[in-house]
Amino acid sequence: MKKRLVSVFVLIFILVNCKNNKENHNTTQEKTVPVNEESRSYTQIHEIRDNLLHPDNGQVIVVAHRGDWRNAPENSLPAIQSCIDMGVDMVEIDVRETRDGHLVLMHDGTIDRTTTGKGKVSEWSLDRLKTLRLRDGLGVPTPNRIPTLEEALNLCKGKIMVNLDKSYDIFDKCFEVAQRTGTLDQVIIKGARTNEEVREQFGKYLDKVMFMPMVRLSDPKAEEIINGYMKNDIPVAFEFTVPSDTIALIKRFGEIRSQGAGIWINSLWPQHNGGHDDEKAYADPHVYEWFTDNHINIIQTDRPAILLKYLRSRGYHH
Amino acid sequence: MSKNLFFIAFLLLFSRYGFGQDTAQLTTRTDSILYRLKHPVKNEILVVSHRGDWRYAPENSLMSIQRCIDLGVDIVEIDVRLTKDGHLVAMHDKTVNRTTDGKGKVSDMTLEEIKKLRLKNACGVKGSRQQVPTLEEIMFLAKDKIMVNLDKVEGETVKEAYKVLKETGTVGQVIFKGRETADMMLEKFGDIMKEIIYMPILIDNTENASGFVDRYNELLSPIAYEVTFSGTDTENFKQIARLNRMGITVLNIPLWDALTAGHTDEKALLEGADEAWGWLIKNGANAIMTDRLNELLNYLEGKGLRKH
Repeated sequence: MKKRLVSVFVLIFILVNCKNNKENHNTTQEKTVPVNEESRSYTQIHEIRDNLLHPDNGQVIVVAHRGDWRNAPENSLPAIQSCIDMGVDMVEIDVRETRDGHLVLMHDGTIDRTTTGKGKVSEWSLDRLKTLRLRDGLGVPTPNRIPTLEEALNLCKGKIMVNLDKSYDIFDKCFEVAQRTGTLDQVIIKGARTNEEVREQFGKYLDKVMFMPMVRLSDPKAEEIINGYMKNDIPVAFEFTVPSDTIALIKRFGEIRSQGAGIWINSLWPQHNGGHDDEKAYADPHVYEWFTDNHINIIQTDRPAILLKYLRSRGYHH
Repeated sequence: MSKNLFFIAFLLLFSRYGFGQDTAQLTTRTDSILYRLKHPVKNEILVVSHRGDWRYAPENSLMSIQRCIDLGVDIVEIDVRLTKDGHLVAMHDKTVNRTTDGKGKVSDMTLEEIKKLRLKNACGVKGSRQQVPTLEEIMFLAKDKIMVNLDKVEGETVKEAYKVLKETGTVGQVIFKGRETADMMLEKFGDIMKEIIYMPILIDNTENASGFVDRYNELLSPIAYEVTFSGTDTENFKQIARLNRMGITVLNIPLWDALTAGHTDEKALLEGADEAWGWLIKNGANAIMTDRLNELLNYLEGKGLRKH
C-alpha cells in the first residue's frame, strides 16, 4: 500500500519535472539566440583575405546576401554595418547605374519594392534618388537612404570583403570606384562568363581586382568552362549553382580547391544547393554539414548569425 | 525504508512548487498573459509582435509565429482576410503580390489556390517552403502558448473568425480589435461582442476620444485599448493616463513616427531604448507592439520589466 503510494508520488514528481524542464529548456535556449549575439569575435580583414586566397586552409568564409537585411533594409549602410558587427567575412551587394552615371546599391531594376519611389534606377538621377527612403522588410519606409557604391565601399574599407553582384556589365565603373576608395583588394567582381569572354572584355583588370566566374553546374558546358579558367587564370573562387546534389562535378570541388580556387555555393534557397538551404538549416544547422563535407569554403547565406554559430562550433571560423 | 522514500518524494514534490506560490505556474502560458492583460502593473510590460517575427521568417507565417513562441513573446498580431470560398487566411495586403509568389486578390482566390502559393521572405525572394496559413492552423499552433491579436477583422469577418475560435477552443486566447464605436460594433455583431476579447483602437482622428472610451467602458468593458498619438498634445495621448487610472491596459505601437509621436523602434536603436520604449513606459504603456523583438525583450529584461 505504502509502496504504491510512494511510486505514485515519484511518478507524479517525474512527470511534473519533465514538463517543467522542457518548458524551461525551451525558453532559456531560445533566449540565447539574439541576432547579434555571436558578434564579439572579429576577424581582421587581412585574415579574411588570407582565407580567401588560401582556400585550402580549412576556414570557411561567410557571405551575407544583400547585407543583414533581417535587421536593416537590404543593400543599406546599416545592413552592411550589422554584418561587420556580427563578424561576417564578406557582404554581397547589388550595384546599378543611375541615369547620370553614378553607381548605387539596388537589387531590382526598379526602385518600387525597396524605396518610396517608383520607376527604373536607370531613369533616375542620383540627386533625386537621394531624396527617397528605403523600406524595411514589411515595406514600411525607414529613415535610411539609398547608398552609393562609394559610400558602401568607404564603410567596408579595412573591415569586410565585398562581393559586387550585377557588376559585370559595369565592370570598369566598379573598378574605378574601388580604386578611388582604396578597396581594390577587398572587392570581388563576378559574372557568368567564360575565361575567353572575360579576357577579351576586361582582361586588363584581371591582375588588378578579383574576378569570380559564376557557373551553373547543370549547364552541359560547365566542365569546359571550369577547365578553361583552371588552365589560364585560376580565379579566387567559382560561384557554382548546384540544382541537385547528385551532380558529378561536386566530386571535383576538393581538387579545384587544392589548386587554389575557392568553391562558393549559396545556401540561400534550394535551387542553389540541391536542397541544403538556409530555411532547412534554421530548423537543423547540421544541414550546413553538406557544405563542409563537400569542400565548399565560401557560403553565401540569408542566415549569417546561424551559419557563423555553426561554423564556429566546428572550428571552421574564428 | 519505504517511509523515508515516501517522505523524500513528498518533500521533492512540494519543494517544486513551494507553498503559496503563484498558482499561475500551474496553468497555461496564455492564462497568465491574459491575467496580466486584465491586471496591468507598472513593473511588467507585455510584448506584442507585429505580423510575427518577420525578420526570421515570412510575415504572417506559421514559422514567424513559432519563433515568437520560442522567444517568449506574449501576443502575436496577425492579419486575416477572407478567401473567395469563405476561409480566413493570414495576409496583410489585399493582394498576395508582395508576400507570395502568386498574383491577385485574396478575395478572388479559393483556399486551394492560395495553398498552392509559397511565401516570400522579407527581401522578396521566392524559395521558402512556407505556405499562407489559415486562421485555424494558426490557432492550433498558438493554443495555450501565445495570445493572438487579429487585425483586419472588424469589417465583416468577426463572425467568421469567432466560428474558427469556437471550433479550436481558443475564444479566450484571441484579441480582436477595431476602430469603430462601441455602438456600431454591438449593432453589427451583437452578443458575439460580449464573448470575445475586444480591443478598441484610438487612432489619431478618433472624434471625441474620451467619449469613445467612456462609451466602450459602459457597454463592453474592454480590458485593453490600442492607443496611437501623433503628438503629446493630442486627445488620444491624454487618454493613456485616464486608462492607467482605470486599470485598463494600454497598448502602444511604435512602428513609425505618427503612431507614437516619434518614439519608435527605430529611435530605440539609433538613440537608445530609453528614448523610445522607456519613454512610452514612463508615459503609461502596459504593452508594446514592435518590429524589434530581440531588442525590446532584452531591454525589458535588463530593466526587470519581464516576469520570466
